[in-house]
Amino acid sequence: MKKLVALILAVTVLLSVAVLAMADDITLDVIIAQYGPKTQDWFLGTAMDGSNFKAKFEEANPGVKLNLEVVSWNDLYTVVSTRISNNNAPDILNIDVFADYANEGLLLPVSDYCPEELYKDFFPSFIQESVIDGTVWAVPDLASARALYYNVDLLKEAGVEAVPTTWAELEDAAQAIVDFYGGEVYPWGIDMTTDEGQAAFAYYTWANNGGFVDEKGDWALNSDANVEAIEYALSLVKNGYTNPNPATQTRYDLQDMFGAGKLAMVIAPNSVPAYIAEKGYTGVNFATASIPHNEGASSSSVGVMDRIMAFRDDSADQAARNEAIGKFLTFFYDPANYVGWVSMEGFLPAVNSAVGALVESDPSFEAWLSVLDSAKFYPTTKAEWNDVKQGVIAVEQSALTGGDVRQLLDELQAKVSAK
Amino acid sequence: MNNIFVRHKWDPYLWILPSVLLMLIFVIFPIGIVFRLAFSDISRAGVVGEFIGLGNFISAVSAPVFPTVLMNTLIWVVSVVGLSTLIGFTAAMVLNQPFFGRKIARSIIVFPWAASLVIQASVWNYIIKMEYGNLNNILLNFGVIKNAINWRATYQIEFIWECAIGIIVTIPFVTFTVLSGLQSIDSSYYEAATVDGASFGQKLFNITLPLVRPSLTVSTVLNIIYVFNSFPIIYTITKGAPANKTDTMVTYLYMLAFYDQKKGPATALSVIGFLILCLASSIYMIVTMRKEEAL
Repeated sequence: MKKLVALILAVTVLLSVAVLAMADDITLDVIIAQYGPKTQDWFLGTAMDGSNFKAKFEEANPGVKLNLEVVSWNDLYTVVSTRISNNNAPDILNIDVFADYANEGLLLPVSDYCPEELYKDFFPSFIQESVIDGTVWAVPDLASARALYYNVDLLKEAGVEAVPTTWAELEDAAQAIVDFYGGEVYPWGIDMTTDEGQAAFAYYTWANNGGFVDEKGDWALNSDANVEAIEYALSLVKNGYTNPNPATQTRYDLQDMFGAGKLAMVIAPNSVPAYIAEKGYTGVNFATASIPHNEGASSSSVGVMDRIMAFRDDSADQAARNEAIGKFLTFFYDPANYVGWVSMEGFLPAVNSAVGALVESDPSFEAWLSVLDSAKFYPTTKAEWNDVKQGVIAVEQSALTGGDVRQLLDELQAKVSAK
Repeated sequence: MNNIFVRHKWDPYLWILPSVLLMLIFVIFPIGIVFRLAFSDISRAGVVGEFIGLGNFISAVSAPVFPTVLMNTLIWVVSVVGLSTLIGFTAAMVLNQPFFGRKIARSIIVFPWAASLVIQASVWNYIIKMEYGNLNNILLNFGVIKNAINWRATYQIEFIWECAIGIIVTIPFVTFTVLSGLQSIDSSYYEAATVDGASFGQKLFNITLPLVRPSLTVSTVLNIIYVFNSFPIIYTITKGAPANKTDTMVTYLYMLAFYDQKKGPATALSVIGFLILCLASSIYMIVTMRKEEAL
């Protein structure tokens, strides 16, 4: 009996030594945001020519293993913050925000791991959006831009000859649609929900030369231009030109109404055609135009960008890990892989090397790329951004129930500057 | 070998040990973690910092929307528990009478309880939708209305819908708890009362109510806890919008924790909610138990 126990122990010791000797592989914990139904399949299933990203990467990079997880946007922030609380941050994270992580000292500077050649491939204006105190903390993974989508047939029926470019024209067009269709068709879509109410703030304030920050980059939430812009948006609601419940009807509700021919105009991202096709809406004859602006102000598109960042690990093999992270990025942005990824869910690329192939496969990309060129982005590098984002949504919703816009914005500005 | 059948003093403790361990791991330990977090500084990125005393509680309670949220919670709990108890009790009385099709009626009333709350809330969300909602469609098709009505025109109306849906989904639970109580009442009491010429009201207040009180107590205490903690209805229909005006404590602290990324104040609120529930349940238990002793 004792001999048997001794034998088992000896074998176990030998085996564990053998396992330790083999453990030269570096395993990277990777969290990827779920952009759509195909994300999971591309990274872990069979959507990449019958294989997937993880398998192909590990085949091309022996010695680096991926522990890759695709997480839905609903859970993403909770998953990440829980892992940080438990000292178990991922090595590579794909998400939209980064300032909080960078300010906490949790991130690695991009220069630590990103190969020079790849770094030069990113659109410089995109890289600028991830800089805090002169250090680049994240790289863009993809982007989308917003524009005005309008239902060509509905506008024509109602006698609206030209797509509205200014706010005054927008009101005239909306009135014409109300007169013609009664309550059957909503002229204009507004989303002031907790999902994405900050986008509405951007659509109207940026179209009135206002915005979240002033020229110096300081918060300027209660500027006269902003007050005027939000009051204009509310007047559209009060005059019955919009969907009836902007506080609870999300952009997806609006896209559904647009697809069903119930909504004439809506500001939405470039992924709308893919959305409409996927949901099976047929017979919608739509086109895009720039976002309407106030007289004397200029129109600007709203760009939304997501990022990839790497977390500090403080392990002895940091140099080897950095190299592995670099390999991951190089493989991901390789046009052979990246082009498929970006076009799969209808997004816009973040690297120059992908542009040629994308325009070739879909000429409409060209127009969107020029829209993206002039797009403004949310001030996500500022530490208070998250509070501002929730704050402007609360302002919009309070104003919808009768609150005074100027007073609400004054309070928000005071609260944000006090920090 | 034979002393295996000898009873030891520690015997009972050994038998309850597994349950105690389960309680410790799955109930006491998480509560302990929540209490620790409630007194700690938690950064938005999720880093748990130092002990900050009541800081989280102060910032949670001093938020301008907190009184609204508290008031909503009170309205929500009182209206849903009160009305569902009243209606559920009446339904149980009816279902306790012998009538044709009673079995079918009893199973129909369980339906709302058998479906998941999220699904029910989503279905109701579709029913009251202005654009393609079933309610508008039915009324339009029958010619009752000419134009689609916005069933959720103001947030007050939306909150009333939420309470109404809460009541509908809670009725089955009350009905069945009370029904089980009613069935245990010996019918000879009623026969004797009838012989003595007691009216319906006299029978209700002197026989039925005192004898179903234990089951009514159980259903009300459990209901207060369930309804207070109920999340799916409000989250599915309004998400607390506009500007937290339809939030209750639970949906508010969820939004605070997972939208605003303010985990500290959110944890503090959940501790406050826990204490409120402990207090409310124990007051109710003490009051009803005293009455039972007085009987």
